Amino acid sequence: MDSFFYNLESFLKERISRKRFLKVCLGGFVLFLSNSTFLKAAFAKAAPSNGRPKKDIKGDHDLVLAGGKDPYTNTVKAVEKMGGMGRFVKEGDVVVVKPNMAWDRTPAQAANTDPQVVAALVDMCYEAGAKRVNVFDIPCNEDKFCYEHSGIAKAAKESGAHVYYANHWNVLKARFSYKSPMENWPILRDAVKCDTFINVPVLKHHGLTGLTLSMKNLMGVCSGTRGLIHMDIGRKLVDLTDFINPDLTVVDATRVLVKHGPSGGNLEDVKEIDKVIVATDPTLADAFACTLVNRDPMTVPYIKNAAQRGFGNTDISKADILRVNT
Amino acid sequence: MRKLVIARRASQAFFLCLFIYILWSTTYPLKGLFPTKTFFHTNPLIMIFTSVSERLLLAGLIFALVMLVLTLVVGRFYCGWICPLGTMIDWTGALRKKKPHPGDRVNRWIRKGKFLTLAVIAGFSLAGIQAAWILDPMVITARFVSLFLIPTITLLLNKVFVILIRDLGFYGRVQDVYHGLRSSLLGIEPHYFSSSPVIFLFFLLVISSALFISRLWCRAVCPLGGLYAVVSRFSFMSRVVGDCVGCHTCVPLCRTGAIMDGRSYAKGECILCMDCVYACPPGVTKFALPAVGRRADKGTLSRAEKENGVSRKNFIFLMLGSFLAMGFNWPERDRATGAVIRPPGSLKEDEFLSRCIRCGNCMKVCPTNGLQPTVLQTGLEGIWTPHLVPEIGYCEYKCTLCGEVCPTGAIPQIDLWKKKRTKLGTAKVDRSLCVAWSKNWHCVVCEEHCPVYDKAIRVKEELVDGVIIKKPYVLPDLCVGCGICQAKCPVRPVRAIKVSPEGADRT
Repeated sequence: MDSFFYNLESFLKERISRKRFLKVCLGGFVLFLSNSTFLKAAFAKAAPSNGRPKKDIKGDHDLVLAGGKDPYTNTVKAVEKMGGMGRFVKEGDVVVVKPNMAWDRTPAQAANTDPQVVAALVDMCYEAGAKRVNVFDIPCNEDKFCYEHSGIAKAAKESGAHVYYANHWNVLKARFSYKSPMENWPILRDAVKCDTFINVPVLKHHGLTGLTLSMKNLMGVCSGTRGLIHMDIGRKLVDLTDFINPDLTVVDATRVLVKHGPSGGNLEDVKEIDKVIVATDPTLADAFACTLVNRDPMTVPYIKNAAQRGFGNTDISKADILRVNT
Repeated sequence: MRKLVIARRASQAFFLCLFIYILWSTTYPLKGLFPTKTFFHTNPLIMIFTSVSERLLLAGLIFALVMLVLTLVVGRFYCGWICPLGTMIDWTGALRKKKPHPGDRVNRWIRKGKFLTLAVIAGFSLAGIQAAWILDPMVITARFVSLFLIPTITLLLNKVFVILIRDLGFYGRVQDVYHGLRSSLLGIEPHYFSSSPVIFLFFLLVISSALFISRLWCRAVCPLGGLYAVVSRFSFMSRVVGDCVGCHTCVPLCRTGAIMDGRSYAKGECILCMDCVYACPPGVTKFALPAVGRRADKGTLSRAEKENGVSRKNFIFLMLGSFLAMGFNWPERDRATGAVIRPPGSLKEDEFLSRCIRCGNCMKVCPTNGLQPTVLQTGLEGIWTPHLVPEIGYCEYKCTLCGEVCPTGAIPQIDLWKKKRTKLGTAKVDRSLCVAWSKNWHCVVCEEHCPVYDKAIRVKEELVDGVIIKKPYVLPDLCVGCGICQAKCPVRPVRAIKVSPEGADRT
């Protein structure tokens, strides 16, 4: 310490020559440069991303509707009729199964995807040779409560999936080839950097859009102030679906929340219709799901926007639909 | 072999680690090895004086009495062997080896301070005001650990992982470890607390006092130490010096200044650190329980006792004098209660302020980080009490954790059924800010998030230019004031829906 003060004192008392001044300036500049490069490397901002590549894998049918008491068998049957999970998941793939577990509610309250549907999908992915299945969501309530009380974390873990809390810092910035209000929106990296994305929404009521479906479920991979997506929601959700490109959409309609959505809670508001929809086209899955609760698809903003833009197939009459009972 | 000193240091380190572990595991789902209230329930100062001032019997009182009985047997072992604050004070004091040794006269004056604080606390609690929290060592340490130390460590750990994973690209294994850590019991959850620097500075002030005179805080201020000192004067175990050669080696060595000359010592001051046992050149010092029928050095000790501490007369005088300080209190006045949202089911404001010991447990456990320490929002008497800041985090609908960890019941333990029906306040939509009302935009994020099963936020549908716009309004009877609407409202910088503590259920 003493020597430090001595050196400092002698440094301060010394007369500064031009050479010394220039040296100090140069040293400072080099330090500044190296520092800023280091800092840039160490505190990198989210990288831009153009979204998941389009695979356009077609199933045997456009859409399969499975009805039956057990959601697990429904899911397995429906995916089998679609051509089997092997068509969507290749050996060594990293798969994301993105359920709707946004709310701190029990499975009976029907605000979240049924855990059995998720478990069935995880099992099938591993059977098809997936290297790793990730299950995550950015919930609206506290993640610990949602993961546990929805029953999904337990069911998926038992099937061997990696269930974890999503990190808001681990995001990519969305880029679009066209002008989009979702430009630069932070989207979870793990949802984009995966080989197969399976979207597993639950069919339920929603205050603003009328119904929560597969496109709405994709809000769960968005970070940032998600409330802002609600303004001009139709366009934003279709852009988001275009960005994520889910390979497979599995709509859980085992129990349907018909009122007080999306969080619900009252058991009287829950209608059991015991159906599971599997489709490759998210728009078709959404449009078809509307008919299950006797709703005109065109009243749902994002389906309407998709129809206007010609994104996916919104005309159910033209689709090849298979109904199976288990 | 300094066996006993090593044992004492090991015990200090162990209990400090245990203390930090217990506070760290004060988080959902509360599955730590020990109950979160362990250190508060075994704290006689908090338990006795809260019970007296609130006129009730707290559950922890029994453990507190056990501690007092143990102290009566062996002496102030708590201060020397367990107290986490004492440990940190010892470590800080060790940074400066050569501290001045104040003479006997100064020592005698210094040690009176803690009896003064104890007397004031006792006087206040008789009058129904709980002042034990202000200087209680457990509370000061717990607040520091919960609201400063753990958030800082977790923030650093989190940053390290962020840099490793995101910036240096170690996805895969490292990420799995990180996810595992996040969901484990000692999870990495960087929480933020609004006045943690102030809490840190206060703690720094306390421990840095040891740089001037060793254990200055414990000797002069600590009311818990004072309480233990009062009891340990009569303890059975005492320091026995055999054939003292009068070398006075132990006198400046004693960290609490208890030893006055070779033989006599102020028994209430001794914290059983065992240093003098090993430093004694002829090795004649030891601590022993008196054998039956023999009273060891009784004469010397009682003479020493008379010269030290505070006499009974003075103690009562101090206690009565402390009533003067109550002029600072505002009795029977409508306090600035309207200012903040208290945790669910909190006691009425006056009782709450008096019962709350500001330990920070509720803020540590709050899963959304919404409970924050107040600074001066409720006046100086409300400093560091918890209040909900919905912008930071809302009150989780199905969560009763804050009531479960409160050591004094300022936040009562309520079951889930009651929690869902307990009002914290009432939300109000500011129609001049709300984008649905003022700009006719689609939004209703607040209605979407409302956790009440029948939705306390309803929408009014209005046809504007051929489009139906849903405009939110609140039903005050259904609203529980959880604040999730305020937390999720996308309007910036001021939220368009705000919760005020109006109509809160305070029992």
